[in-house]
Amino acid sequence: MTSTPQRGFSVLPLVLFLLAVAALAAFPSFVRKPYILHMGVMLFLAIIQGQAWNVIGGYTGQYSVGHAAYFGVGAYVTMMLLEVNHIPPWWGIWGAIAAAVMLSVVIGAITFRLRGPYFVLASIAVAEIIRLAALYYKGFTRGAEGFLLSSIPTLHLFGTEIEFLTKRTFYFTGLILAVVTIAVNYAVEHSKLGYYFQAIREDQDAAHSLGINLTFYKSVALAISAAFTAAAGGFFAMFVKFIDPNIAFGIDVSVQIVLICIIGGIGTILGPVVGAMVLVPLSEILRNPRGLVQVGILSGDSSVVRFIETYLSNAHLLVYGILVVVVILFAPDGVVGVIRHAVARSRRRRAASSASPSPA
Amino acid sequence: MAMLDIQHVSKYFGGLAANSDVSFSMEQGMIMGLIGPNGAGKTTLFNCITGYYPPSKGDVVFKGVRLNGMQPDQVCRLGMVRTWQKVRPLAKMTVLDNVMVGALARTSSLATARDIAAEQLRVVRLEHKGAFLAGGLPIGERKKLEVARVLATKPELLLLDEVMGGLNPAESEEIIQLILELKKRGLTQMVIEHDMKAIMRISDRIVVLNSGEKLTEGAPREVANHPDVIAAYLGERVE
Repeated sequence: MTSTPQRGFSVLPLVLFLLAVAALAAFPSFVRKPYILHMGVMLFLAIIQGQAWNVIGGYTGQYSVGHAAYFGVGAYVTMMLLEVNHIPPWWGIWGAIAAAVMLSVVIGAITFRLRGPYFVLASIAVAEIIRLAALYYKGFTRGAEGFLLSSIPTLHLFGTEIEFLTKRTFYFTGLILAVVTIAVNYAVEHSKLGYYFQAIREDQDAAHSLGINLTFYKSVALAISAAFTAAAGGFFAMFVKFIDPNIAFGIDVSVQIVLICIIGGIGTILGPVVGAMVLVPLSEILRNPRGLVQVGILSGDSSVVRFIETYLSNAHLLVYGILVVVVILFAPDGVVGVIRHAVARSRRRRAASSASPSPA
Repeated sequence: MAMLDIQHVSKYFGGLAANSDVSFSMEQGMIMGLIGPNGAGKTTLFNCITGYYPPSKGDVVFKGVRLNGMQPDQVCRLGMVRTWQKVRPLAKMTVLDNVMVGALARTSSLATARDIAAEQLRVVRLEHKGAFLAGGLPIGERKKLEVARVLATKPELLLLDEVMGGLNPAESEEIIQLILELKKRGLTQMVIEHDMKAIMRISDRIVVLNSGEKLTEGAPREVANHPDVIAAYLGERVE
């Protein structure tokens, strides 16, 4: 078996991470095309969602396919606090996070008795119940009519006025949220919590016998996950400016969150980032290939654009499906797993060629 | 006061009595052997003692604390921990990380846990494998990892479920030496084992289970010559 390096603080990934963040922060100064910035925002959103799911699904091994519940609660609470109670979203989002964490404690108490596929099914069922409730209780949620954002107030921060009018503002907000999420994920992985979560993923009975309170630590993992998913939901609601139960609580939201991690690689910090980088451009191009024309990558009468519009735009779920099948068949550890295997193989080959002595 | 007192423990699965009315007690520092033919209820008794199943009847008292209804993690933090007959390595974590998970039962500091883990890996002579993935170890080393991991939880009473099962004679001898060394350090141990020579050598006392009931209890030599024990293992003598 291969040996793995000691886990601990390493400088190189941190430097690369800071360089990437700096490059992304400088990016809007050079590129102003709204389509590209829009894609950037969606990318950050997907990274936050993926990192959040990774805590419970990746590290703790509890495959929740019901994260739309927390995403939707985040979106609705932020939106309703703004539209109904006139509370600005930078305060409202804390209410959204608190609501999602409380919900996660309840859902966890119900579903953590179940293991494996039963847990997955229960997580789907709970999210669907919440979606149907949001559709049905019109007096409170306005049902299928949904909420349209009127306007976000101006944020006064350190003497500057920030208006949430342009994609640029959302781009930077999304970047900050994504960086915070990644930092928290890193801190969790490199703590007692990270060890306990992984032990639960590897073998619940063994973990239990080694002094780990299963229900407690699973609930902590789910609460952390729900908090960031709700933040993503609130951010999403403010960005797209309209939510209804299907957009916020739909099962495709749950599936998309899981796909980000499966495609990138489950249980690693890098996985959701890579998964988001694959999935977001793909889904944006499939949904709106004209964007490529705006940006100037393709010309307006390009046959590629016409092909996508005619055959694939309404079938983006089909493309996702094929992608997932391919990943599960050929790269069960995701894109990150493929890269890791390639690196390990070339390292072994180099070690073998340098270590192979001339035959005696 | 006995360190562990098992009082009239019974465990029923439906109509089947996996343990019925088992009682014995263990003193500090001793090694208790637990033997019996397949299906005698040895592992079920371990599960009842460590909180995996609540006993249907009877009490388990550890250091004066009645354990009924306690979960395995609570039992572990009280100082009693078991290994698994079918080893359960945390496969995708390194050997060192596996042992650290055990050590984290007593500390929240990763650095302290790492020190404790490294020390326990030295005790079982697995320190050179610390950076390997646990899932890739051969069976002999998995058994040692299992022991290192429970030692890291700083137990007072160790329950070993067939730690020599599937090992070759040299590996078994290493485990025997390890168990005797742990005894010297004052650790109390209960050992389930099928290798009769080994169990006779290491045990201070032996409890024999058969069909869920306690057949007899005594010093290794008494137990080995007990007619009921011979009958349970080999069948009745043909007259």
